Amino acid sequence: VRAALALQGYTFEDAEIAEIVLQFSRLEAIAQTVLAWPLPFAAEAAPVFRP
Amino acid sequence: VIGTAADIVQQIAKGARSAAAVLAECKTLIQAKDPDLNCFTAKTFTRAEREAAAIDVLRAAGEALPPLAGVPYAVKNLFDIEGMATLAGAKINAGNAPAAADAIVVARMRRAGAILVGALNMEELAYGFLTENHHYGITRNPHDLKRGAGGSSGGSAAAVGAGMLPITLGSDTSGSIRVPASLCGVFGLKPTYGRLSRSGAYPFVNSFDHVGPFANSVLGLALAYDAMQGPDAADPACAQHAVEPAAASLTLPRGIRVGILGGWFHEWADPAARRSVQLAAAALGATEWIELESAEVARAAAYIITGAEGGALHRPRLIERYEDFGPSARSRLVAGGLIPASWVIQAQRVRRHAYREAMQMFERFDLLIAAAAPAVAPLVGQDTLLINGRSIPTKAGLGVLTQPISCIGLPVCTVPIWPGEGVSAAEQALPVGVQLIGAPWRESLCLAAARALETAGIAEFKTPAR
Repeated sequence: VRAALALQGYTFEDAEIAEIVLQFSRLEAIAQTVLAWPLPFAAEAAPVFRP
Repeated sequence: VIGTAADIVQQIAKGARSAAAVLAECKTLIQAKDPDLNCFTAKTFTRAEREAAAIDVLRAAGEALPPLAGVPYAVKNLFDIEGMATLAGAKINAGNAPAAADAIVVARMRRAGAILVGALNMEELAYGFLTENHHYGITRNPHDLKRGAGGSSGGSAAAVGAGMLPITLGSDTSGSIRVPASLCGVFGLKPTYGRLSRSGAYPFVNSFDHVGPFANSVLGLALAYDAMQGPDAADPACAQHAVEPAAASLTLPRGIRVGILGGWFHEWADPAARRSVQLAAAALGATEWIELESAEVARAAAYIITGAEGGALHRPRLIERYEDFGPSARSRLVAGGLIPASWVIQAQRVRRHAYREAMQMFERFDLLIAAAAPAVAPLVGQDTLLINGRSIPTKAGLGVLTQPISCIGLPVCTVPIWPGEGVSAAEQALPVGVQLIGAPWRESLCLAAARALETAGIAEFKTPAR
């Protein structure tokens, strides 16, 4: 998280970083469901969504 | 309590009341009720008086009146209102230049004769299912002031729920119309993604942002929806669909096949929410359960895309003015902006997969139903929800049943249902809404089913007890 924050141009105190780490860890936990979901190799993304 | 939009239109058309008199009544209600609820962040009474006077001039001249002539309404404060800074619930926007023009849907409501009376409180930047705004205060539930209105369009739902207004506008990225509609006991419509223009609405997550109405009747909801329809080249997601009026055809066709969403949607519905679904299912003749297997992963995908897009959108301001964001929003936004691109792309792939699964379900069913919130309105400040023995943080958990649906853009009408018997005494006087979910572009069917439930007395707008 510290490296990613630097890449994004953020500079924070340690207490603020700790809160961001906590939030990122929640996102990471949720992301595991997405990353583990089996999809066909050729399944396309839907970045511009048209129902 | 203010009447329904249709009643107001009829009274003005017949000359029983003037638009100015309706507005005066509305102002009195707002002044009496809003101090307890904190729905409004701004009132536009001068503009409203001008708009009401124009309707009365039309009426006096014997001209044809537009479909919402004289109906007062207000908008979530993320919609541009000409001459006012658009807050989107955030202190960082308070010093912005006033909007040069109304948002497209506000302009269309104006052309339909509706009278704008103000801007409404919301969760900061629409990021969350509560309206416990760090800068502009808590919006409370009209049915129990100890409880919250839900969010992020909490002011919009509570203003209708309290009987101050017959119609309001809100937005829904992950459930921000459906959750507060459920908790405040009002009707809400999240149309198909791309149906209504978002031009002039402050963005949050471009992939998911929808706008839509709240109302105290299904006909009022449909009239507002009809007034706002139409293509808009300025919104890249807005479909080039012709207007498909819904208000004139609110009769549910015979033989509609209604499925009850089980699995994820049943597991995360507590006894009160399940009772609401049971009442709606019985009234619509639904007996068959069906499972959207990708519901959980669709919700997770929505989380990842929301974090990434929201974080990217606000990054420049987070770098410059971190302290001016509320503590609940800022660390989540920064964290979202750190999500790797590969996660986001996988989430968008999952999204398409979930959409295809849902479309297969619509080969068997015309309409799907599920609770709109896992439980009745939580107490203000309540950190967690306990759903069937499982604990979930309130701020995220209130959207557990709505996120999988907005992730794939389906139209949903939320109807207010009162579980009554079979639930705890504390919950008997509180609503849990039900989502009536249609295939893309079938808002009319969702609204017709809502109307059927309203006519049957199952879905009902109730005046707050106090």
